[in-house]
Amino acid sequence: MSPELVFQQALNGLSFGALLFILASGLSLVFGMMDVVNLAHGAFYMLGAYVALSVVQSTGSFWLAMLAAPLALGVLGFVLEPLLLRRLRGRHLDQVLLTIGVSLVIVDVIGQVWGREVRSLAAPAGLDGSVALIGGVYPVYRLFVMAFGVALAAAMAVVYRRTRIGMLIRAGVQDAEMLGALGVNTNRLFASTFATGAALAGLAGVIAAPVFGVQPGMDTDPGLLYSLVVVVVGGLGTLSGAVAGSVLVGPADTFGKVLFQDVALAVIFAIVALVLLLKPTGLLGRIRIAR
Amino acid sequence: MGGFGKNELAEKRGYTYRLTRRQFLVATSAAALAACGPAAVTPGASPSASPGKELKLGQLLPFTGVYAELGNSMRRSTELYLNQNGRKIANRPVNLIYGDDANVTATGVQVAQKFIDQDQVDVMMGVVPTPLAYGIRNAVHAAKLIFIDTNAGGNALTRDTTNCTPSCKSPYIFRASFSSYQISYPIGDYLSAKGTKDWFLAYANYGFGTESAADFTTGITKNGGTVTGKVAPPLSNPDFAPFVTQIKNQPTKNVYSFFSGADAIGFIKSWNSLGLPAAGYKMYGAGFLTEQDVLKEVKDLANGAITSLFWAVELDNAENKKFVADFQKSYPLLPDVFAVQQYDGMRALDEALKKLGGDTSDKDKVVKALEDVSFKSPRGDFTFDKSTHNPIQDIYIREVKTQNGQTVNTISDKIAKVTDPGK
Repeated sequence: MSPELVFQQALNGLSFGALLFILASGLSLVFGMMDVVNLAHGAFYMLGAYVALSVVQSTGSFWLAMLAAPLALGVLGFVLEPLLLRRLRGRHLDQVLLTIGVSLVIVDVIGQVWGREVRSLAAPAGLDGSVALIGGVYPVYRLFVMAFGVALAAAMAVVYRRTRIGMLIRAGVQDAEMLGALGVNTNRLFASTFATGAALAGLAGVIAAPVFGVQPGMDTDPGLLYSLVVVVVGGLGTLSGAVAGSVLVGPADTFGKVLFQDVALAVIFAIVALVLLLKPTGLLGRIRIAR
Repeated sequence: MGGFGKNELAEKRGYTYRLTRRQFLVATSAAALAACGPAAVTPGASPSASPGKELKLGQLLPFTGVYAELGNSMRRSTELYLNQNGRKIANRPVNLIYGDDANVTATGVQVAQKFIDQDQVDVMMGVVPTPLAYGIRNAVHAAKLIFIDTNAGGNALTRDTTNCTPSCKSPYIFRASFSSYQISYPIGDYLSAKGTKDWFLAYANYGFGTESAADFTTGITKNGGTVTGKVAPPLSNPDFAPFVTQIKNQPTKNVYSFFSGADAIGFIKSWNSLGLPAAGYKMYGAGFLTEQDVLKEVKDLANGAITSLFWAVELDNAENKKFVADFQKSYPLLPDVFAVQQYDGMRALDEALKKLGGDTSDKDKVVKALEDVSFKSPRGDFTFDKSTHNPIQDIYIREVKTQNGQTVNTISDKIAKVTDPGK
């Protein structure tokens, strides 16, 4: 590989990683707070993309879609948590099973409403061109994705560390029962967290659509598959883990796929296996005490 | 209805297995229901198959999973054909039984077995993914079930292969679609004969993609062409930028590719956003790269791509014009190549059974009648190759152009009567 090629592939890997962070952040947030691996996360991501498709078709505005899809998914999450998940609180495996059911329903509804054709979404005007970079031109949209990923991570870090909401989340992660005993409405906190996770999945659906496309099957691959890989590699339930996971998995997957093409499908799982062997909690995972 | 004796079943399958109590209950009650059904509809129908009796037609298609839209398209042309012909094939009212394989081979194999044992269909059609076609081959062959493959293009299904691995031809299997040889070898031969010798390959790394790339390579090698390198992303790859970046960093400008559906869209979009057209790279491929499902999403980004296929919606012949018009009268969209394959499969069955007065009881006679079928299809002249049961068909060289705001495949040349070599 020439240095130019390495540079271009590094850009590809980092922008892919940024997309993965946006995709996985919601899953990580929900797991950290509620101890539930939300297997409907991929379906939320898919729904976000299809909502975006409709918004862009009817209004022509990608930016409006970037507001509407997270909002719609947030509302859905805010309804689903008290309606379904809350009834099984404390029964983690049952909750996980429930989220599989939710994902099946969502994916089928999408098929009924939007059809089962392969679709795509164009990058918004202004970001749909290419700029000259070392070794030729590079799509502006992928640079935007990188910047957006960094901005989102920074914003989440500020909320998490510096605001009252962040303080409540951190406390909830530590001991939700105690938080409730101190007079905090944990029901509302849990619903809001789940809604935020769903909204982040919806946001990922919009931002990733111009790159990953919009099609049946996107809920599992790349949706759920890659977000699970990122949070497992980075460490379950922490923001820094999601960041570390995406920054590692994005470039590793990119370089792995072009260097070892005959086993490209296995590259992603090789990364997971390697990290789990060396560090079972993930790169930056909290050590959880069984409770 | 025929009996449900264990030995008869075993004979049909070519193997035996023990029924669990639950399977036995499901099977017997379904058989009882099936026995009641037709009797109520057609009183006095004789127990043996005879003209006028209901024709059971099993359709094994994906209605869920990533290929669901292909299944939907094939169902549309099935319904269109039946509606045009009074819901009859060779004067027999058709009892259509759709089965969903969900793009899971194991599920599809179960549905095929249900068609054989429980529904006892007269004819089976459909099958989108090649692994499923290979998976059901032995069961179909053992049951002497007439099966018309209306999509899966893996070469081995209609060829002589050693030990029948991964599959091999059966007298009872016909293919109304294509073999991957037919959409890959001729274009390689054609382009290299015109003087383009150096090629880079980009293909989805699964059975069909590797087969297409190999057949293309055979085509160019025949005329002294060479392959200088390749990229092979996994099937359903989310991000094509890494692979297109690899293409951009090597000197061979002519790239032959095999991608379809979402992969084709991702490939073509990355190809443009990374500036390959401006850098002088030229895109070639098997026809699925630029079919309507892809073109309606990428539009003029695909302009200039040269692909080969046995059909295009723009194809200028009377049958195609009528087919496209009729399809659009029934559905608010253009037909695609999958609809054509299925439509031709229905037509071939109809033509063959008409010659037998609708009698499907002698399987060998049905096979013979299908071998002799010949008609004008939307794709041109349609016949089965008697030795392989794969179609003999013209292959069109097509170039993507945007005309009057529509991005279409324009036909630039034709390679007449392409036959699969059969081994």
